[in-house]
Amino acid sequence: MNAEWTSFLVDRLPELWLRVGQHLVLTGVSVAFAILIGVSLGILAGRVSWIRGPIVGAAGVLQTIPSLAMLTLLLALLQRIGAVPAILALTLYALLPIVRNTITGLGGVSREVVEAARGVGMSRWQELRLVRLPLALPVIVAGIRTAAVAGVGIATLSAFIGAGGLGQFINRGLALADTRLILLGAIPAALLALLVDFALGATNWALDPRRKTGSRTRTKMATRMAAIILPFLIFATGGFGYVRARPDITIGSKNFTEQIILGHMMALLIEDHTNLKVDRRFNLGGTMICHGALVHGEIDLYAEYTGTGLTAVLGQEPSADPDQVYKTVSREYRDRFDVQWLDPFGMNNTYSITVLQADAERYGWDKVSDLESWAKGLHAGFPGEFVERPDGYPGFQNAYRFEFGQVSDIDAGLMYDAIANGEVDVIAAFATDGRIAAYNLRPLVDDRRFFPPYHAAPVVRTTTLRQYPQVRDALEKIAGALDDRSMRKLNGWVDQERRSPESVAKAFLRSKGLLKGMQKR
Amino acid sequence: MIRLSSVSKSFDGGLTYAVRELSVEIHDGETLVMLGSSGCGKTTTLKMINRLLEPTSGTIEVDGEDISQRDPVQWRRSIGYAFQGIGLFPHMTVEENVAIVLRLLGWPTAKKRRRATEMLELVGIDPEKFSRRLPDQLSGGQQQRIGVARALAADPEYLLMDEPFGALDALTRDTLQQELLSLKQRLCKTVVFVTHDIFEALTIGDRIAVLHKGELQQVGTSEEVVGRPASPFVRELFEKPAKQLAAFRDVL
Ligand SMILES: Nc1ncnc2c1ncn2[C@@H]1O[C@H](COP(=O)(O)OP(=O)(O)OP(=O)(O)O)[C@@H](O)[C@H]1O
Ligand SMILES: [Mg+2]
Repeated sequence: MNAEWTSFLVDRLPELWLRVGQHLVLTGVSVAFAILIGVSLGILAGRVSWIRGPIVGAAGVLQTIPSLAMLTLLLALLQRIGAVPAILALTLYALLPIVRNTITGLGGVSREVVEAARGVGMSRWQELRLVRLPLALPVIVAGIRTAAVAGVGIATLSAFIGAGGLGQFINRGLALADTRLILLGAIPAALLALLVDFALGATNWALDPRRKTGSRTRTKMATRMAAIILPFLIFATGGFGYVRARPDITIGSKNFTEQIILGHMMALLIEDHTNLKVDRRFNLGGTMICHGALVHGEIDLYAEYTGTGLTAVLGQEPSADPDQVYKTVSREYRDRFDVQWLDPFGMNNTYSITVLQADAERYGWDKVSDLESWAKGLHAGFPGEFVERPDGYPGFQNAYRFEFGQVSDIDAGLMYDAIANGEVDVIAAFATDGRIAAYNLRPLVDDRRFFPPYHAAPVVRTTTLRQYPQVRDALEKIAGALDDRSMRKLNGWVDQERRSPESVAKAFLRSKGLLKGMQKR
Repeated sequence: MIRLSSVSKSFDGGLTYAVRELSVEIHDGETLVMLGSSGCGKTTTLKMINRLLEPTSGTIEVDGEDISQRDPVQWRRSIGYAFQGIGLFPHMTVEENVAIVLRLLGWPTAKKRRRATEMLELVGIDPEKFSRRLPDQLSGGQQQRIGVARALAADPEYLLMDEPFGALDALTRDTLQQELLSLKQRLCKTVVFVTHDIFEALTIGDRIAVLHKGELQQVGTSEEVVGRPASPFVRELFEKPAKQLAAFRDVL
């Protein structure tokens, strides 16, 4: 047990430093912004009394927005994932304590002292700088301390929108039900919060104007200076650690099993065949989020499907010709987004109209057209996306000239259980889903060749390929090596047998002899 | 010369007046003492001269120029003001407090230091021992003397002193009164001095202005106000201490 923990920790130590660094950068940058904005607003509110209410009110309302809702909202507003929306959200959260304490601190200076400041001939600015701010400083720093400690906690959530940080371990641990990973994120985050609290507490102690004199011995002065510098030191160390450990390549993925397995495969190949450092930012969300992240440079590459690229991203009419589709997306991505499509993995994760194996046998269903005479009495369960997309149900009705008696929107993850439990008769399964085999389902032949090809391939930023040409070589090793059946098996290992996506990816690459390091052993 | 003409100040929109129709002149090089019971408007008058408060009506002129036309910040720097509430800056050392106006005027550090030391010695505070302390670490009387030193530091032409020696023992107070007198003679200061102490008023004042409930009762030399009181209030004001003095003589 102990040895197992030790090796678990040793394995993840480099990543732990990266995440701690990211975490500190996220918190540090957002608190710095919040100090700039919050103290300015606090000063303004002290000057112009009628805006005090609205400012404190607005900052208060911002803080009552649940953190996840705020992150999702900013994600939607900014149309991008990563550090930018995360820092924005953290900044907004940090505002209230800083604004409030600035107002309290500046207003708490006694009337006599303020009157003396004015009476002696200070301008408003001098009164602020020489008297009010220094006297309010401990109160303001107390607000910063509250904001920073809360920020360290909230920053764990920013992993949900692909900003990294210690929350990444927690996310991964939750997805895999792995307690060790959850603790690997949670414990350092708690320690970091304590450390930041202590450091800013020390600063606060040192900034108390009453501690300025008394005995000005050298050691006491040094202690004070050290206490003031401490928080800067911590955040600078974090930033430095982040820069040192910063990955060369960031790989993203959408939020389903196959994508995560493909992500791990690409990461393992790059790590094995080059000496680049890879950051895995998986589970980012849907197509548009991953695409946005790629275009904005939040990630360098992820696995996309040709059909999705054509219709969802480029907004073109679906096409049934795989070569044609691949050519079109390659050209358009290169010209419009400066992104390259590399050679496809091999498998085609297209939609496939799927029924129970038992039903297929009983009614003699083999092709999609065979359903036509039964369709009025069939209940279909389709994912919302499929119901809406032109290459989904609307196009399907055009091509096959029939519709199902009843169509329900159903979560893509739940439709397999729904058909296995007899709640629906027909689903639009993904051709590579592991549950097709596990639940005894039967994909029907697309005899009208309606469903466009969804061949998965790495999409990579052109600038990344230019900077690291070895990435192309590493990724092309797997080109064509992964067929539908293999993919279905790998998905099944993760979804049904609860193996970790990383181990599954590794096992497959090893079986194909694609990992150098592994072969030697 | 500072001239107040029909100056009134109301804090409640004209219902009551803290100062009403006050007209008085303070000549150059003169010390005008303001006497009067608590709440009669002395501090309010000083603050209006300093422009911490604006008069509700009436004008205050300096050498014929209306001070409301002047830049208030510059005007205040040319005045030394010892506040009734002292108002030392709690985060600044004694030395920094004394030198604050010099700092605002942009004096070089060494000169500021020398001047602060000089001022502390003048008010009987040992610079060696006290200049690095914070105001909290001083007695009430010591704080009051720092306030006076701060008012004097920039060698201002005008001095506004609001009960500057109120917290001091009779001996220290006497020393400082003598200092102030010699300073005034040497440097020709124009001083407005508020006190509740009749003897202090008689010692320091070239002329005495007696206020009652915001209104000027009488202004004149000590002989005039004591010898020919203009109102029952003025007479009473000086009768009480005279009787006490007689009683004190009897004891001796
Ligand atoms: N900012 C203010 N708002 C309202 N009323 C005020 C204000 N300042 C002073 N007053 C009132 O004005 C009147 C004169 O006050 P002032 O401070 O001038 O008295 P004073 O003569 O200095 O008294 P003391 O000898 O007790 O210091 C008092 O009745 C006081 O309550
Ligand atoms: Mg007063």
